[in-house]
Amino acid sequence: MDVLDLARTQFAVTGSLHFLFVVLTLGLAPLVAIMHTRHAMTGRPAHERMTRFWGQIYVINYALGIVTGLVMEFQFGMSWSGLSHYAGDVFGAPLAIETLGAFFLESTFLGLWIFGWHRLPRWLHLACIWLVTLTAYVSAFWIMVANSFLQNPAGAVERGGHLVLTDFGALVTNPMLTMALPHVLGAGLWTGGFVVMGASAYHLFRRTADREFFTGSLRLGVVAAFVGSLVTVGFGYAQFGPVSLFQPDKFNGTPLAGLGLGFMILIGQLLQALIMFVLLPTVYWLPRWRWAHPILMLITPLPFLAAILGWLAREVGRQPWLVHGRLTVADAMSPGLTKGMITLSFVGFVGVLGLLAVVDYLLIARTVRRGPAAVTLGADGPADSTERAHALSL
Amino acid sequence: MDILWTGVFALLLVGYFALEGSGIGVGMLLPALGRTQPDRDRVVAAMAPFVLANEVWLVAVAGVLFGAFPSIEGEVLSGLYPLVVTLLVSWILRDAGLWFRRRLDGHAWRAGWDWMICLGSYGLALSWGMALVAMAGGLSGPPIGLPGLGGGLVVAAAFAFHGWTFLSWRLPGQVTGASRTGGALLASAGVAALPVAVLLAVLAPWLLEHIAPSATLNVLSVMILPFAPLMLGAQVWVWRTFDPRRAADRIPSFF
Repeated sequence: MDVLDLARTQFAVTGSLHFLFVVLTLGLAPLVAIMHTRHAMTGRPAHERMTRFWGQIYVINYALGIVTGLVMEFQFGMSWSGLSHYAGDVFGAPLAIETLGAFFLESTFLGLWIFGWHRLPRWLHLACIWLVTLTAYVSAFWIMVANSFLQNPAGAVERGGHLVLTDFGALVTNPMLTMALPHVLGAGLWTGGFVVMGASAYHLFRRTADREFFTGSLRLGVVAAFVGSLVTVGFGYAQFGPVSLFQPDKFNGTPLAGLGLGFMILIGQLLQALIMFVLLPTVYWLPRWRWAHPILMLITPLPFLAAILGWLAREVGRQPWLVHGRLTVADAMSPGLTKGMITLSFVGFVGVLGLLAVVDYLLIARTVRRGPAAVTLGADGPADSTERAHALSL
Repeated sequence: MDILWTGVFALLLVGYFALEGSGIGVGMLLPALGRTQPDRDRVVAAMAPFVLANEVWLVAVAGVLFGAFPSIEGEVLSGLYPLVVTLLVSWILRDAGLWFRRRLDGHAWRAGWDWMICLGSYGLALSWGMALVAMAGGLSGPPIGLPGLGGGLVVAAAFAFHGWTFLSWRLPGQVTGASRTGGALLASAGVAALPVAVLLAVLAPWLLEHIAPSATLNVLSVMILPFAPLMLGAQVWVWRTFDPRRAADRIPSFF
């Protein structure tokens, strides 16, 4: 592989890893916020346990979302400085707005939510998780604004060899954005719903102690997945209009883009049919049908796979352009980038993040397996007995 | 507008050093101050509620660098390439240590991630020091060298002092054996931020020269400035909520 291939592969792998964690974050955040709302309104311990259990899975997943996102943000300047030179005056704006107006707040409020148990007033603590959810969605909006600009550079004209922003309204109402954003948010909800459903099916199948807990969770997961699947599939097909207008050869140019699109649609259609015609109508009885639970567990990873295939189709289908019709990927590569440099960062980023991603999924699986009784998020006081003795002696 | 956004950039970078400098310093001191596992747990629990609110300042720095100084962004990040790699890998390992250390019960698991927090914190401090020296030299020399290492040690010492003061403020008379007031913490934050503040003062004309055109800056202003009170308010709320005078005995630590 030459330098360009390595830099592209590094961006593709870190981007895909980032999205695997982001898609679950986007889906679980509103579900946890809804659970926390029920807890705040009723004060029932069952709702608190649900908030803390699914909340812990949400935050373990979030850890990798942060670290993969850091690498994404810095990689633009490291490997693709041609992009900031040519289009930075336009493309940089949504990214800057995302970091300041969305992620800055999301991270601050998430810290308050995680460490604010038993400390913040009930309604303020609840407000934190809703602000985290809201800012996560705002974040997704600005990132999609930036990505859609690469797909169709709306709102900018070329002057003196680089792009300048002329119409901010056109940038944020880009036709490549308006149908794609709900598609992504729907996919998040679908993925979150499936994780809740699959993890609940595991406990019901194993006949663990928390039957009532996971009966309610499984139903919530199926309903969330149903809503998510409707939004995802609807806005998925709606994208064919703008795509055929702005990138008519998107899915014909390279086999990978076409394959990604085809298999995504296949997975999406089959799962949506299963949810709409089988899982949702039987949602009342489903928690009791033990034979069905292994099937629910087996299909849990499929929305993740479909999400990655969808991104492959969108991004590979844009090649060889970085900014469609204006700047090629090859021209955007940082001028001084050598094979030694990119190999170093490839090993550092892809190797470390890949390993951590595996560890993170194992930790999520373990949190699921140990069940709500072992949750440490929001546990009242230090977790183990030696610490408790220590705390009491202070 | 040019001066405003240069000021925002400087504020965010100085803020990052002043705030996250304490977290990095605590991480560096973790093995020295936490000889036993319960001690290390208390040290981590003391810094944990601030980590997310502090480290996000650097994410904001990178965002403003891209949005308001796009022509510098590529030059700096590709010019400092090996240092940016070590900085990011260190940051990733430090954060992984914090998030993962309590997720399994084994003693070796938690102790191993504690070492990772320490290693990552040293990596962050040294990378920053070397990056500041390379920036001061106008990115002309090799990013890693003897003067850079000196800069790295200075930043590491400043962060360690800031981290030590933070622990003496948050857990008075406990792991460090000393007590420090909020005023002392403010002063050590100034020490931690001093190197980068000096560099920014020197580089200010260069930054102003390379700022994005006014059309871009106007958009940033309209979209960001209305949220500035909320952003600062949330930060203040974090420091008020986890102030040691407010029920330090109940810390449901997740990290």
